[in-house]
Amino acid sequence: MTEAVFRETAAEPRTQAVPLSHLSLELGHLYMEDFEAGPERLRRHFAQVVHWAEAVREATRAATGKRPRISTCFLIDDYFTRFSTPRELVPILLAEAERAGLTVDYLARESGCAEAEGAPVAEAVAGRLVESPPPGAYGARPPAGQTGWLANGERSPAARTPQAMKKAIPWQAPRETAARQHSVFLDVELWSERPGGGKLWSCPFLAAVWQLARLGLLRDEGRAVLTPRPHEGPFPDDWDEMPPLLQLQSRAAPFAAYRTCSVLPNRFVPVEHAVRVILDQTEVDPGALGQVAGRSAGEGVAVPDSVADRISYVFYAGQ
Amino acid sequence: MLVFAASDKGGTGRSVTSANLAYQRALLGDHVAYVDFDFGSPTAAAVFDVPGAIRGIQENGLHSYLEGETNEPAKIDVWRQTEHPVLRNRPNQAGRLVLFPGNISGGEFATDDETLERCVDLLLRLNTEFDLIVVDLSAGRSYAMDMVLAATAHPRMRHVPFRWLVFHRWTRQHVIAAAGLVHKDHGILDCGAGHGHHKDTLRGHIRFVRAAVPDPESPLWSQVTPAQAAWMQACDEALRRLASDNRIGDSVVLGVVPLEPILQWREQLITEEDVLSKQIANKETLEALEEIARRLTDDTHWGRP
Amino acid sequence: MSAGENHDEGIVLLCGEVRTGLLPAHQALDIRAAAQLLRLRADERVLVSERPNLYARSPDTLTGVDCPLPSASGAKVRAVGTVAVRGTLTEGRVLQTSARLGLAARGPDHRRPWGHYLVRPGTLEPFGRLPREAVAEGVLAGARRGELDVGLIADGLLTQLLRHPLLDQHPPFKSRPTRLRWTALPAEAGAGGPSIERLTLAEDELRTLRLRVPPGADPAEVAGLCEDLALHDWLLTTVVRLLDGSRLGSADGTAVVRALRPAVDHLLHLWMPRARLEPSLAALWDVLEERPGFTRQWQVLVRRIRDQLALHAIPALHQEAVMAP
Repeated sequence: MTEAVFRETAAEPRTQAVPLSHLSLELGHLYMEDFEAGPERLRRHFAQVVHWAEAVREATRAATGKRPRISTCFLIDDYFTRFSTPRELVPILLAEAERAGLTVDYLARESGCAEAEGAPVAEAVAGRLVESPPPGAYGARPPAGQTGWLANGERSPAARTPQAMKKAIPWQAPRETAARQHSVFLDVELWSERPGGGKLWSCPFLAAVWQLARLGLLRDEGRAVLTPRPHEGPFPDDWDEMPPLLQLQSRAAPFAAYRTCSVLPNRFVPVEHAVRVILDQTEVDPGALGQVAGRSAGEGVAVPDSVADRISYVFYAGQ
Repeated sequence: MLVFAASDKGGTGRSVTSANLAYQRALLGDHVAYVDFDFGSPTAAAVFDVPGAIRGIQENGLHSYLEGETNEPAKIDVWRQTEHPVLRNRPNQAGRLVLFPGNISGGEFATDDETLERCVDLLLRLNTEFDLIVVDLSAGRSYAMDMVLAATAHPRMRHVPFRWLVFHRWTRQHVIAAAGLVHKDHGILDCGAGHGHHKDTLRGHIRFVRAAVPDPESPLWSQVTPAQAAWMQACDEALRRLASDNRIGDSVVLGVVPLEPILQWREQLITEEDVLSKQIANKETLEALEEIARRLTDDTHWGRP
Repeated sequence: MSAGENHDEGIVLLCGEVRTGLLPAHQALDIRAAAQLLRLRADERVLVSERPNLYARSPDTLTGVDCPLPSASGAKVRAVGTVAVRGTLTEGRVLQTSARLGLAARGPDHRRPWGHYLVRPGTLEPFGRLPREAVAEGVLAGARRGELDVGLIADGLLTQLLRHPLLDQHPPFKSRPTRLRWTALPAEAGAGGPSIERLTLAEDELRTLRLRVPPGADPAEVAGLCEDLALHDWLLTTVVRLLDGSRLGSADGTAVVRALRPAVDHLLHLWMPRARLEPSLAALWDVLEERPGFTRQWQVLVRRIRDQLALHAIPALHQEAVMAP
């Protein structure tokens, strides 16, 4: 409605904008097993990452043709297992990064990808999944899908008791929708039911949410979520007391960016394949998408249409 | 209101009688849906004389709907699509009469949770639109029967009134079978209780219809010998005792449809014209159907003052 | 790149289907319950509005399709993309689901990565060139099995909404849902604003509407017009049926009152054409007011109902009048 004299604020959707860098560079994920393996493991990791990080910066510089805005981040799992405390762990982490010559600008907790400051982030993303239709999908409701799973194609039909006197259908192969000749079929578990009720989000699903956060594409009723909080004072004794996204360097480039790159050991390959399958079938907030498009066009920076194409990885050999 | 038409055995005239009840209610001005859940042998098309309309919808019948292959089950507006010359002229003030056919080649099939949800969706949608929904079930203990018992116990269906009609012929075997279908193991009450129905309440929603009952007084038997007549009387009395002993006595009978020669020959709707101008059907049959149709919603016949 | 559907210059045909029916709940939902019912996404607000009437609208959700388009010429044109669907509730009483899509003039001869389609919500790209006239006619005529069926998508959302635990499935009276299928082709150059080419009451439940809209018209606004028309057509249809079924003139006054009362309780206050339409689209209502005269018919119906109720509200007088010589 144009030129309206009368307005109802509840009737007007708005989308909050977030500042954007050129690249969000992820320096690693930390899980309990990494922590238990001692500081040496972190040391080895950062020693590998530093070379790749430099290469990624160089590539971004070459692509943007100027001094790019690049922010770095690091993700700690406090969702699947709780270990140590921020007060104990974060200083070790930062010290090891520094020893390798790396600076961590933003520190995130994985549980912030499930729920951040009251916003049901993971649930919201789950509500935005739009399954890629197999050829022939004409609008009929999809056959009772595997709730909590998402595939990159058509599953083998479930064995179902056929109508009386009709033949049972023989096994059929699953098929990747975007297959070229042959399929690499992947079926991703997005969540499981917690014994006490509620959803336990899977690692790939939270990793997909994490990517959307880094791409500046998460909103809750138009409000930006997982926005960084400045770090003040000592680190707390409880993970819950630490903001889900903490800004460690006051002069860092913005957390969210047009593109992301993560430097990870190659054991993350299956998870990150799953992340691509999820992102490829997630309809992100059109308002946020439009803001990124407008801003990048204004800066003359090319950003791929497809959200899944905005993320990249360096997988290195090792633990 | 939902009315489920059940029978233990085939050949009880369940489909043809329930179709006639649907027709009678439509004549009274109700909007009526006739839902063909007789998955083994869908016959409603023949009764409503809509064979041509059926041919086009092989794939969109209720089977396809319940199995999730189609979202909108085919429906046939009987007044408009019937090939029956009398029915084609929808009487003034008559309600709608809509047939929801099964698939032509559909058989019985197992049901799961999603099938049940879809069944509930369908019945609820019909209930917003129609005054009366007649659901014809396969003979015997069937998946369809189990499904509708589960559906009527579903929380979403709590405000939808339903009643059961159990059809049986007036013979020893049929009386015992009909009583068994309701009262015995894995019968309607048993199975209904398993789905969360209260047994006594459910029992209160069940009435019996005796079909193809030979009336010894009828002119049909006017030629019988006195010995035959006496034998028939004795049989009739014995059957009454048997029915009563099996808890399906007169107090739970909604009506009796006399033996009707034309229904023995051909499943069809009985119109006023068949009785009055063509004189091929008996007046008593039509009156019995009209009376049962009326009693479907008359609470005094359902144990309520 | 283009993010919103309205920025896509290449859209040459809009189409959709609206399902309209009575909410199966004994009491009308208040605005908060309405917002709860229509909350299809955890992160998107339900649009709620209280002026000039209570109205709630869900966010759009998408359904992916990859199938042949219906076409009057029989041409098999495959298209891939997403159909947008949303639900609305007016005065807590009338529930609508509305699916819509825009078709691009042309597309590549192969399917692109799914992410490409997802950033163009509500848009389908054909393989090759779109025979838009044939497809527009095909859509209105109805899809054959296996062809894109927008109605099924609207129905899918309806089924989902109808399963909501807020609904007691106890509607106050019997009524029939309606379907309105629509297409909108770009207006000829120089033709000016939007126009209605044809509105047909096809069967008992189906209406088809053929529109012309200025190139680049916002598909959501055009769908809004169709929802508004569908709502008011449903109101007319439903009230006409209530009057039909009430056997006016019969001696049984209470039966007439019982039959007509739902109209007074639940429907008569709902008439409010063009409440939220974009002004140039709202002008299309003028045509319908001229012929067949939607509001005129509505006013006559309302008057008949009020007259009937007034007549039966004074039984004594009514009796006397009948008995007078």
